[in-house]
Amino acid sequence: MLNRNVNYKVPRNLLVLFELMALLLLFIYDKDNLDKTTFISGISLIFTIYISNFILLRISTGDNYIFLIVTMLISIGIIMIYRIDKTIGMKQVIWVGMGIIVFFITYFIIKKIKGWKDWILVYGIVSIVLFILTLLLGTRTKGSINWISIGRFSFQPTEIIKLLMIFLIGSYYTNYEKYKEKKYGSYYLMGIIYVFIGFLFIQKDLGTVLIFYTIFITLQFIYEEDRKLILYNLLFFIVSGLAGFFMFDHVRIRFETWINPWAYIDNKGYQITQSLFAIAEGGFFGTGIGLGHPDFIPEVHTDFIFSAICEEMGIFTGIGIIMLFLILVYRGFKIAISQQDKFFRIVALGISILFGIQAFIIFGGVLKMIPLTGITIPFVSYGGSSMLSSFIALGILQVASEELDLEEVQNE
Amino acid sequence: MNKELKRIIIVLVGICILFVSLIVYLSYFQVFKAEIVKKNSYNKRLWINEEKILRGSIIDRNGKILAYSEKNGETYKRFYNYGNLYSHIIGYSYREYGKVGLELEYNNTLLNISESTPLNELKNIVIPNTEGNTLKLTIDHHLQEYSRELLKGRKGSIVAMNPKTGEVYSMVSLPDFNPSSLKEDWNNIMEDGDSPFLNRATSGLYTPGSVFKVISTIAALETPELNKQYECKGSTKIDGYTLEDYGGKAHGKVDLEEALVKSCNSYFAEKSIIIGKDKIGEVADRFMINKSISFDLPTKKSSFPYKENLGKTDIASASIGQGKVLVTPLNMVLIASGIGNKGQVVKPILVKETISPEGTVIKANSTQVISDGADVFTANEIKNMMVEVVKRGTGTNASIKGVRVAGKTGTAENSSGKSHAWFIGFAPADDPKIAIAVVLEEDGTTGGKTAAPIARKIMIEALNTVKE
Amino acid sequence: MYNIFSLIFKYIFIVIIYLFILSIIRLIYLDIKGIGTVSLDNSIYLKLINRKDSLPFKIKEYYSLEDFVSLGRGNENKIIIKDPYISKNHLKIVEDEGNYYLEDLNSANGTYLNGDKIMDVVELKNGDRIRVGQVEFLYVNRE
Repeated sequence: MLNRNVNYKVPRNLLVLFELMALLLLFIYDKDNLDKTTFISGISLIFTIYISNFILLRISTGDNYIFLIVTMLISIGIIMIYRIDKTIGMKQVIWVGMGIIVFFITYFIIKKIKGWKDWILVYGIVSIVLFILTLLLGTRTKGSINWISIGRFSFQPTEIIKLLMIFLIGSYYTNYEKYKEKKYGSYYLMGIIYVFIGFLFIQKDLGTVLIFYTIFITLQFIYEEDRKLILYNLLFFIVSGLAGFFMFDHVRIRFETWINPWAYIDNKGYQITQSLFAIAEGGFFGTGIGLGHPDFIPEVHTDFIFSAICEEMGIFTGIGIIMLFLILVYRGFKIAISQQDKFFRIVALGISILFGIQAFIIFGGVLKMIPLTGITIPFVSYGGSSMLSSFIALGILQVASEELDLEEVQNE
Repeated sequence: MNKELKRIIIVLVGICILFVSLIVYLSYFQVFKAEIVKKNSYNKRLWINEEKILRGSIIDRNGKILAYSEKNGETYKRFYNYGNLYSHIIGYSYREYGKVGLELEYNNTLLNISESTPLNELKNIVIPNTEGNTLKLTIDHHLQEYSRELLKGRKGSIVAMNPKTGEVYSMVSLPDFNPSSLKEDWNNIMEDGDSPFLNRATSGLYTPGSVFKVISTIAALETPELNKQYECKGSTKIDGYTLEDYGGKAHGKVDLEEALVKSCNSYFAEKSIIIGKDKIGEVADRFMINKSISFDLPTKKSSFPYKENLGKTDIASASIGQGKVLVTPLNMVLIASGIGNKGQVVKPILVKETISPEGTVIKANSTQVISDGADVFTANEIKNMMVEVVKRGTGTNASIKGVRVAGKTGTAENSSGKSHAWFIGFAPADDPKIAIAVVLEEDGTTGGKTAAPIARKIMIEALNTVKE
Repeated sequence: MYNIFSLIFKYIFIVIIYLFILSIIRLIYLDIKGIGTVSLDNSIYLKLINRKDSLPFKIKEYYSLEDFVSLGRGNENKIIIKDPYISKNHLKIVEDEGNYYLEDLNSANGTYLNGDKIMDVVELKNGDRIRVGQVEFLYVNRE
């Protein structure tokens, strides 16, 4: 009988064990310049994660797995990032700390404030404002304009817009009956989403276009009653894919280097082939942390962190990460299915699809299974805005996993 | 179940399939692709070991050093003792240009990098490995030098091997290059239209011409109901297309043996229609055509696409080694070997032994039968016919006094307008010690006139000097 | 020295990661098994408020309600909960013309509705909390 009680502690303790061992290993690795701050921040991160898992079990009546899974992913990511570059690793520790705080803040805000489903206009307007700001203030990296820098701090507005879009779709389908009565009501949503996609095209951020499309099409598939709209959407998807291919050089290059990267190994195929070398070199168990050469891959700490993990921790760890994501997505869907509130059900689905598709696109990309698009792995790659927005999404998902106030349901 | 739930589950299943396919692809990549990918010379990891480990030497079958490394300051420098002679066997290993040949295929052996098992890794940490293994080749340095000397000034390839053990004694492909002066020659080599980097012996695909008739002959021997008699008029019409004998010469009344001895095109063209493409194709398959030959160097597949929809003229020209048939010299020497070795085709071997820095043999390649080409009886019959070819037919220039030589010549028409001159054969016919294939690319001469004498000289030299 | 550590740790890491995944899958499996057959379709049920694994006896997350449901420690009840603080026959919920009524069966420790001990038969409203022994249920009626 007691056994059941202990259950939750098993993964939690495994996680702590994993983190402590990793910390020890990283210290031996870096023993020449041990310093106190690194040590303290490492320990406090482990403590924060443990406590957060613990607190969450007390305050939330909802799901207890998603946060646990995410913290495991984060731990693997940080170990790798720290091993590649100490300073970036330290920054990532801070981002994770902030992310956890943001998670709890999001959790409380989303839970306390009612009426999320009615603010469709807010979501739309804020998104468009953010898009315009990006175009005005944005800086260009890797061929796309998607960063805004304010002082030393820079962030990617599309990270936030992704979530706003999910809210927007959620609120649209929650109030579906209302819109359906209006003339052309069913085209409202498509219209606004295509405005978003148009903006992304201007920014040349094709990876994000793909994510937006996937979320939109799948949610439409589940909730749209006018089935021919889905067909239109798919057609548009193909057309804009082709348009992207012919309009943008960097899309064409990505495609060519996917078909045969070896022909362009000196230049445009360099990154992907280096990634393949790393994965091949790792084998099933990896070379061991610190014993491989993931630093040969350009941008290894963001887009290519998965290749680095495969090289040093083996493809068994790689498969482990893929499975963790799969469980995370599965839990997200489970949450959606048990959620009675339609708005949060849609939002939970949207977020799960977001996590899933984002992970799939980049995993498939670095493996050369699909063409490479430069996006980050949620929770694993280095990156402030990606980390924070992923934690916001997770906070929302946590709320969605709870039995929400029933009065609201009755008003439906 | 309501519609919404059903659709949610469809989406969930879709995502699950995506993720599972990731896992499957990753495992597939690791199991089947990783080894090849790792070897790519752009993989910088290969060079990291290079700087710490003395690369092993490469020696010939008698212990002559062909390539070795020496410490040069902090790093090691590679020396190739015989310049062009081994360019297509040993290849080269340079940071700037990568690796090819045995330097690439046996990179891990030469650097003594063991497979990554936990035990090996631990061992490597406790006692770091500083010296690589030595490769002992089956090549006989003298014969290799002699073969290249005979081919010099021409394009083409010579492969000589032991038909019973599969050991390759010499393998030459011209034009070649000098691995020692790669830096200076690189641009010239890259612009050379004759592609010096191509190892013609293993990867050059040639029209075989009449040497392919040995395959057709075996197919004929295995078709008992075939009428082996024929009246040759110097040419024959198949489906309205005229096939001529060499020089339009009419051979008169011929049987199978006479047809092979005189290399009668009309005979094989006519009979092949009756034998059928599938029978010829099946024999070809047994002699490794359409099969990939596993070798210590990468090989190209010879091809006779008999499974395609071939017309009568296609079959007829294939039977005399024209048209859609393409072979590598290595494959042709295997065919000669197979016939000499009582019908059994053995795996060609280039690396005889791997010797550890301490001098012990850690791996020895042994003889391996890879295909049953023909039964003993058929092999004996075709061998006797090939002996006749050399005794009184097109191959007389290959005959050796006091030794029964079996062989077949070939003069292959090709798109360049200048024919390839071929000779394949083995000696002594009843207990062969050496099998050979010679091809002179776009030489414009007949195989009997130019290729056969070269083969003869090499066979004599091999019989006299090579120690088994 | 470091190399040896790294070498050993890499195997341990993989083992830990997979144990972690397994333990989570196992928990999720237990969870699903516990939910039983209740799904979106069923609109009247009792939902467990307590964290399931904090209770040292067998209990389900959901109990769907039919026209007559009894709850207690005894095996003859529709809902059997082996909580020592629950009486053999503790309470019953009866349907009448679409409404559900809760009645305590003179249990030793009583039945609490929204914190108050009930003395008589009470009509249940959506969102009511029913506490028996250590267990607390939420009454859900979506009709």
